[in-house]
Amino acid sequence: MAAKRHVIVGGGTAGWNAITAIREIDKGASEITLVADEAPYARMVLPYYLGRQIGESHVTTAGPQRLAALKVAARLGRRAARADAAGSKLVLDNGDEVPYDDLLIATGSSPVRPPVPGAEGANVHSFWTLPQARAVSGGIKPGSRVAMIGAGFIAFTILNALVSRGARLTVLEIAPRILPRMVDDAAAQIVQGWLEARGVVVRPGVQVTAIEDKGGAKVVKLKDGPPVEADLVIMATGIRPNLGWLEGSGVEVKAGVVVDARMRSNVPNIYAAGDVAEGPDRVTGAKAVHAIEPTAVQHGRVAGANMAGREVAYPGSLLMNIVDVLDLEIASFGAWDDAGAEAAVDLRADRPAYRKLLFRGGRLVGAILLGRTREIWATNDVGMLKGLVYTGKDLSAWKARLRARPQDIRLAYLATGTARELLPQTLLGGPSVPERDVTVNA
Amino acid sequence: MRVLKIIPERCTGCMRCELACSYEQTGTFQPSKAVIRVSSFEGHTSYAPYTCPQCAEAWCLTACPVEAIGISPAGAKEVADDICVGCKLCTIACPYGTVFYDPDSHKAFKCDLCGGKPACATVCPTQAILYVEAGTEDWLASFAAERALPAALAGAR
Ligand SMILES: Cc1cc2nc3c(=O)[nH]c(=O)nc-3n(C[C@H](O)[C@H](O)[C@H](O)COP(=O)(O)OP(=O)(O)OC[C@H]3O[C@@H](n4cnc5c(N)ncnc54)[C@H](O)[C@@H]3O)c2cc1C
Repeated sequence: MAAKRHVIVGGGTAGWNAITAIREIDKGASEITLVADEAPYARMVLPYYLGRQIGESHVTTAGPQRLAALKVAARLGRRAARADAAGSKLVLDNGDEVPYDDLLIATGSSPVRPPVPGAEGANVHSFWTLPQARAVSGGIKPGSRVAMIGAGFIAFTILNALVSRGARLTVLEIAPRILPRMVDDAAAQIVQGWLEARGVVVRPGVQVTAIEDKGGAKVVKLKDGPPVEADLVIMATGIRPNLGWLEGSGVEVKAGVVVDARMRSNVPNIYAAGDVAEGPDRVTGAKAVHAIEPTAVQHGRVAGANMAGREVAYPGSLLMNIVDVLDLEIASFGAWDDAGAEAAVDLRADRPAYRKLLFRGGRLVGAILLGRTREIWATNDVGMLKGLVYTGKDLSAWKARLRARPQDIRLAYLATGTARELLPQTLLGGPSVPERDVTVNA
Repeated sequence: MRVLKIIPERCTGCMRCELACSYEQTGTFQPSKAVIRVSSFEGHTSYAPYTCPQCAEAWCLTACPVEAIGISPAGAKEVADDICVGCKLCTIACPYGTVFYDPDSHKAFKCDLCGGKPACATVCPTQAILYVEAGTEDWLASFAAERALPAALAGAR
């Protein structure tokens, strides 16, 4: 039998995890072709590159040697232009055709900018790719005035780096609060106060109308207030999955490529994973695009295993984020914004500490956690909250207690046997193998 | 593989495991930097140490974007400080609450079984923590269920 031909489009988190999962299982028996316009790297560590904690090579997940060692034929610098599902071949931007037995769509997302005049001008940057990170890094000097447009999660991942590089920062957000898709009002208030006390200007509820040039500087015009002058503008105004190339392919696309529990699209030999995939959500049971790293990792591993012939059903992803800004830790899990859930809240007046637990019946469906970094890590709470939301443990007996003391989750976690339920669970049906230990047969 | 087997009935709450652990991990006695944590059970004079079960899924390891977490010769999931960037993804991936973040070094840290000589087990005076050949288990669930009665605790402040 001829070796199976797997074609992976996109070498980011999802694509790379699929490749290692395939090799973990088949030890090199199949052919893998990677088509990617960028060399494989982990974009989510770019903030640490900006902060000069790591060099450029540190973001790379697989260089040429590693790809060769895993017997991956890499077509780097090439884009997939079209998928011919009926003919089972991929058409590249240079017209080359790559036939496949199965195809993985792992093309991630791209940043989007609001359509305001000047949005594409000089010294206006997105922060999503390595070249963009280089450009921002090269544009900052101690004392530089930086206007950050957008106060979402991605913007927040680079705040520490910008401050540590000596930037003077103004954060502009169109929504009435910062971090609108990560935390609620109460948490956003605390974070805003914390940043302001540390010299960051934060202006939620403002709309950018234009970005103009004035003697080498940028002027960000607002509909709702005085303009902001800056040396450099960062646009962190959201992302959109890279789906355009699938038009006309017959692959079903909603917010992302709709996939089943095996990460398979409506076309049986086409899979999708990561930011571009709309897969099962653990809490809601519905399908969703999560666009977070842990989901991309798990999607990639499950897709890879199924492509390699190991039937693996994905139990679904949990939406979750964690970020710290100037030593304030902020995390949220699951349906933290479920308006129909019962909320248990603990908000401290004496210090920045906030906790919100969201219940549907006896089940914890979401949580928000906020506190000084030092205080948060003196507990086991971050992971335990994840475990409680992830397992959906029946906490009916504990609800009164948790409502009275949302800060005290440890006993509920231990006594309900959450760890006992979790320990036998593995994503691929056995102990995980570190990527670096995956090898192929000679 | 040898694992940390915890027999909570034997724990007296002396906290030596936390102290020894933090000393081994950081070179100073700081229980807030221990990766084994002792819980107390109100009204029961009962205590139980809790640490990383070295689970098969290795959530922390698979989540790491820079492959900073590997498996040590002792079988522990171990963070390589020089590779870790401190993004904390492992801490939210882990559903056990046993991966921590060190605000001083800006790195993740967790139980590494002290390279095969776990300090917590060595110092435990009552042998509530054993380092033995065994399958990993939830050592605390029944003990905690018996002692942490949610109804009795409900109103407690
Ligand atoms: C600054 C920053 C910080 C972040 N921090 C976090 C965090 O703390 N936590 C978190 O959960 N997530 C974070 N993320 C998000 C996380 O990085 C993404 O969710 C993750 O990278 C998604 O993986 P992916 O494989 O789906 O896509 P990507 O990693 O984006 O990979 C997709 C690849 O496909 C390539 N590609 C696209 N179209 C084509 C085509 N037509 N042909 C060939 N190749 C193509 C792209 O160039 C890219 O290399 C962060 C992202 C950024 C930018």
